[in-house]
Amino acid sequence: MHRTRASLWLLAALAALAMVAAACGGTSGGGTTAKGTIVVGGFKFPESSILAQIYGQALAHDGYTVQYKLNLGTREVVAPALKNGDIDLYPGYAATDLEYWNNKAGEATGDASATTAKLNSHIQSQGLIALTPSKAVDQNAFAVTKETQQKFNLSKLSDLAPIGSQLVLGAGPECPTRPYCLPGLQTTYGIHFKDFKALDTDGPATRAAFKNGTIQVGLVFSSDGDLNDLGLVVLQDDKHLEAADNVVPILRQKVATDEVKNLLDKIDAALTTADLVDMNSQASTQHKDPDAIAKAYLEKHNYFS
Amino acid sequence: MTARVFLESVDPWINWDWLSTHIPLVLGALGEHVELTAIALATGLVISVPLGVAAHRSGGLRLAVLGFFGAFYTIPSLALFALLIPFTHLSGTTAEIPLIGYNVLILVRNVLVGLDAVPRDVLDAADGMGYRPLPRLLRVELPLALPSIFAGLRVATVSTIGIVTITALIGLGGLGSLIDKGLVENFHTPLVVATILSIALALVADLLVAGAQRVAVPWARPV
Repeated sequence: MHRTRASLWLLAALAALAMVAAACGGTSGGGTTAKGTIVVGGFKFPESSILAQIYGQALAHDGYTVQYKLNLGTREVVAPALKNGDIDLYPGYAATDLEYWNNKAGEATGDASATTAKLNSHIQSQGLIALTPSKAVDQNAFAVTKETQQKFNLSKLSDLAPIGSQLVLGAGPECPTRPYCLPGLQTTYGIHFKDFKALDTDGPATRAAFKNGTIQVGLVFSSDGDLNDLGLVVLQDDKHLEAADNVVPILRQKVATDEVKNLLDKIDAALTTADLVDMNSQASTQHKDPDAIAKAYLEKHNYFS
Repeated sequence: MTARVFLESVDPWINWDWLSTHIPLVLGALGEHVELTAIALATGLVISVPLGVAAHRSGGLRLAVLGFFGAFYTIPSLALFALLIPFTHLSGTTAEIPLIGYNVLILVRNVLVGLDAVPRDVLDAADGMGYRPLPRLLRVELPLALPSIFAGLRVATVSTIGIVTITALIGLGGLGSLIDKGLVENFHTPLVVATILSIALALVADLLVAGAQRVAVPWARPV
């Protein structure tokens, strides 16, 4: 009888021990300063963590108390967290965010300002605001190798129109039916390729095809960290075929004072896609931490002086 | 913006330079994993034992409890998090609710099965000895149900250690955050380290619960 009573106590003690262990892990909150606290959120990929750290460290330098909630899964999680004030700001992307907040109404265009204005028309009533979009973009883009670029003296997609019949395009198998891909290149730019190879979107098959010369033009993401290492050059989308996924901070209006807006606008005005490629490369090939990459970027551009 | 499948890369299985400078990150993830698991199990147990006892008494409640937690098990975690955040915020509570819910389904079933299996003549003997209902439950029925409860606890422990990784969706995740980092950055080291630690944690936790069972229920040797 004693034995069985003891065993019940043991079970209860195990439960209590687990609860104590759990309670010990609580986090302590930071103090507040006169300027108040801003919680910066970010998505679960290095570029988002880096951008969140750039915004956050600049705000901290300006005297705000900054906390981070990084590596959040998706907008399904980030959006409610922003609405109820768990986070105050996150680095968004104009077109993707517009299509999230308007329930995929298909309003995004290649014009970053118009896309952001549209985004603001959807989120303003919810107490949110998107600031001025940066010229730095993370979106679908078409790249060529350095040799092809030099051979034909290419800088933008329009340059491909007269020589398209000599080149092969490689992209995901859905490309021939997607407006942003083959049909768009034909109607918007008048490019008619010699051939199309169904590969992947910016994956190993595309890389291998570039390497062995099967394709000369390929679909990639514009801020990919290994573009430089692979010797690929992104052609400028001069007729705005791709939806404008320019970096744009999305804030709660409550924290969007003129001071905060000016600070973030200044950062976004200076940020370029080349900066993103460089910082993503530091994360993906050198495995540097986002906070260190962001700090080095801000130091290099004299935000701390 | 996408996770990419592993390229044929020169990335070693473990990059010791990175690991040696990121020990606090790894230990922090391990600690978070243990914490999330411990709260989920403790709370799950505290809910399941009384709920199991109540469901054992009433057939209607039994159906309702098993039906409710069975249905709960089918809700995708992303949907659940999106529904919870407006109420419980980006917090440990939001992370624990699905974990506890998944545990309760496993534990409550084992409490029920354990109580169901108590032989009728043992209960008659206890009644004959003059046990009132509560002492009979505490001193006869629950002790005899312990092997089944412990079996459930072992399944729940190991499964929770695996399931904790879903909370990476809201920025927690314990070792799951390292696994995600490895996948998103195409980087073996955090992936390999987190996987090894996760397996080790499951083994140690299972041994601990099995050891506790040996002490608590010496007449029924754990398998």
